[in-house]
Amino acid sequence: MKLNPLNLYRMMTRMRAFEEACLEGVPTFEIHGELHTSIGQEAIGVALAHALTPEDAVVSTHRNHYHALAKGVPPRALLAEIFERETGLCRGRGGHMHPFDPDRHFSATGIVGASLPVALGYAYAFKLRGLPHVAVGICGDGATNHGTFHECLNMAAVWDLPLVCLIENNQYAISVPIGEVTATSTISERAAAYGLAGETVVGTDVEGLTEAFAATVRKTRKGGGPSVIEATCYRFRGHYEGDHDGYRDRSEKKRKRAEMDPISRYRDILIARGEGDAEGLAAIDAEARAEMQAMLAEVRSDPQPDPSGALDHIFLEEAR
Amino acid sequence: MADVNQSMRRINGSQAIAESLMQEMERDERVVLLGEDVGRSGGVFGTTRDLFDRFGPMRVRDTPIAEMSFTGMGVGMAMAGLRPVVEIMFVDFLGVCLEQIYNAMAKIPYMSGGRVPMPMVIKTAGGNIGSAAQHSQCLWATFAHLPGMHVVAPATVRDHKGLMAAAIRSENPVIFIEHKELLLKKSKDFLSGAEVPEGAFVTPIGKANIVRGGSDLTLVTLSAGVEYSLEAAAEVARDGIDVEIIDLRSIVPLDVETVANSVARTGRLLVVDEDYLSFGLSAEIVVRVLERLGPGALRQIQRHAVPDVPIPAALSLEQAIVPGPASIERTLREMAAAS
Repeated sequence: MKLNPLNLYRMMTRMRAFEEACLEGVPTFEIHGELHTSIGQEAIGVALAHALTPEDAVVSTHRNHYHALAKGVPPRALLAEIFERETGLCRGRGGHMHPFDPDRHFSATGIVGASLPVALGYAYAFKLRGLPHVAVGICGDGATNHGTFHECLNMAAVWDLPLVCLIENNQYAISVPIGEVTATSTISERAAAYGLAGETVVGTDVEGLTEAFAATVRKTRKGGGPSVIEATCYRFRGHYEGDHDGYRDRSEKKRKRAEMDPISRYRDILIARGEGDAEGLAAIDAEARAEMQAMLAEVRSDPQPDPSGALDHIFLEEAR
Repeated sequence: MADVNQSMRRINGSQAIAESLMQEMERDERVVLLGEDVGRSGGVFGTTRDLFDRFGPMRVRDTPIAEMSFTGMGVGMAMAGLRPVVEIMFVDFLGVCLEQIYNAMAKIPYMSGGRVPMPMVIKTAGGNIGSAAQHSQCLWATFAHLPGMHVVAPATVRDHKGLMAAAIRSENPVIFIEHKELLLKKSKDFLSGAEVPEGAFVTPIGKANIVRGGSDLTLVTLSAGVEYSLEAAAEVARDGIDVEIIDLRSIVPLDVETVANSVARTGRLLVVDEDYLSFGLSAEIVVRVLERLGPGALRQIQRHAVPDVPIPAALSLEQAIVPGPASIERTLREMAAAS
């Protein structure tokens, strides 16, 4: 796979600028619920974008914005949904935790442990119809201790379904460190229990991760059976905006943010390799920020849903 | 609706379900069936008989005992364009997978702003046949309380077939609660609707069925309650008490109009409900009738439901709390005496 380094960099900065635009809606109560951001986990979004086709399915989590962008969900409609507007992807009914884009086979769930079963259904449908697509079920490290993780990997394996289980291991289930609730040293090694090969990759190395994830998807797409891939990363913000986050030491956070920022890591690599310079990369950063700020300004003038429509869409109208 | 020229036969409830599934799966290759023991064994009540042999393991899938995940798999299948029928063997087990039912299946059409249809059926068996606390519940009101699901419970054999076809063809999620008593009952023993057309037909969801006309009192019920009430009504008819029996067929949507029209004539309302009493179907029916007809519309109101207690194992205890022909007859006589 030939990767374009500046494109990888640009994708990551656009994702982060998108998430930073979201952050602005919290203190203003434009986003009036909780908001979970993925800042620090951009490389995973890039890996998804490279490996997947428009027909593949992704079922994501409460921390889903990068996955949606990677799947091609229009950023403008996604941002408007997060900002609870009528122009949003789901007309403001879903909000930031529940974006649905059937045209791009993207969905998410706010319930930890609930993404893999839905992805399994897509995988089953692809196999039933003989289609060359894969379904990616994304979960965090916390969800891997839910019964569905076992149930779904078992079913995917025994029926040989094109399911890719992508684990974003950001090391904390809200406040609980993984080592306190998980007995194995990696999560991916559990794949062996289902007769599958699991792999743990550094989720902040954008090139390595992109290549590894693409290889995994390729194997599953070609009939090689389900895959389990664990990407290690670190959650830069609290579990949600407003989380006091007293469960992680300040010093730990400072150190991890320095060590595990996929964007600054890659910036250093590009400069060291002579594939970019500080000025050029800063211009890419500025361009991404300007794009997302302009989008934010537009979204802010979009209307909220009309209250008279609060009961719309409970059931679909049916022609009889 | 049924073609009147179709040949009719007497079959039983489980045959009617299996026949409907067979015909709908023939008609639409997107229909898939999954659940515990639905394949090789043909279902613990025989409602999926012959389907595995006809359609093979990809369309008739025996699952592991993993309700949460295979229910969620149904959600994903529906989103991927299939029309899954997920069997949860007993309605009591829906607690195991309720997360996917009420957070995903029922809410996704709304959460997506109407962009994502959810043509999914959860078929399950409820009702009392002596199986005690964890295998006897009805729970239809629980699902009716949670927004976003149609809730269907057939009574006549004919409706087992027609309502199942309607559920499968619906773009909306349906909880389809069969009653174990009706699945096990012999065709010749049904008092109502055991004549079933051979070909496929649809009974629209949301229209109640007046199974017995009467002028003295309106009895509203569903599922096995219909057969029990028909028995009781035949007994009290000897003494000149003329009961109108309405089979709701579904409680979401709820056909209040048919009930209210009947009550407007009789002025007396009895709700017979095999589900729990409090915060349930019986209160809902009464309130909706009063909302429609005005607070003075009823001369008599009676609720006959399971009095908020887990179902006991012993027959003597079960009979003391679950509505059956004898207790319904007793209630009808009490109402007649008090009027």
